[in-house]
Amino acid sequence: MIEFSPEVAETVITTASYIAAGAALIAGVGPGIGMGFAAGKATSAVRRQPQARGSIITTMLLGQVISGSTGIYSLVIAIFLIFGV
Amino acid sequence: MKDINDPQKVQMKILKMTYLFSLLPIVSSLLAGEYDILFGFIFGLVIATLLLRLKYNNIIRALSMEEDSAEKFIRNRYFIEYALYFAVLFSAARNANLDFLAAAVGLFMIKFVVILWSVVDLLRDTFQSKFDEYK
Repeated sequence: MIEFSPEVAETVITTASYIAAGAALIAGVGPGIGMGFAAGKATSAVRRQPQARGSIITTMLLGQVISGSTGIYSLVIAIFLIFGV
Repeated sequence: MKDINDPQKVQMKILKMTYLFSLLPIVSSLLAGEYDILFGFIFGLVIATLLLRLKYNNIIRALSMEEDSAEKFIRNRYFIEYALYFAVLFSAARNANLDFLAAAVGLFMIKFVVILWSVVDLLRDTFQSKFDEYK
C-alpha cells in the first residue's frame, strides 16, 4: 500500500477541493442561459400580447428569482470547499 | 395570486412577507446574543432585496429590446449578479463579524418566501376547487 506523507496528503486534498469548487461554479452558468432564453421569449410574448405585460413581468421576475438560487447553492458549496468555513 | 398584473405590488408583497419571516431569525439571534449571525443575516437580506430590485429593473429594460438582444442582456446581467453574490458570500466568509451560513440564508430568504407562497397558493386553489365541487 502506498503511504503519503501528511504534507502530500494535504496538498492532494487542497487541490481536489479547488477542482471541486471550480466544477461547482459551473452550475452557475446554466441559470444564466435559461434566464436569457426566458427573457427573449418574454419579449416576443409582450410584442404579441401587450395587455399581458404585467403578468408576463411578474411571472418572469418570480421565475428568475427562483432559478437564480441554484447559482447561489453552487457558490455556497464552492466557498465551503475553498475556505472550509 | 391576485395582483399578478401589477409587478410592483407583487414585489412589495414579497418583500413584506420576506421581512416578516426574517423577524424570527433576527429576533432569535438577537436574544441568543449571536451578533455575527444577526449581522450576516441582515447583510444577506439587504443584498437580496437590492438584487431583487435590480432584477426587476433589468427585466423592464429587457422588455423594450429585440428578442436576441434581450436574451444577451439578461444573460450578461445574470453573470454580474452572480459575481455580486460571490462578492457577498466571499466577504461573509472572510469577515469574522459575519456568519457565512447566515449570510447565505439571508440571500435565500426571498426565494424561500416565493416558494412558500406558491405552495400555499397551490394548496388554497386545490382545496377551494374541492370545496366548490362538494358544494
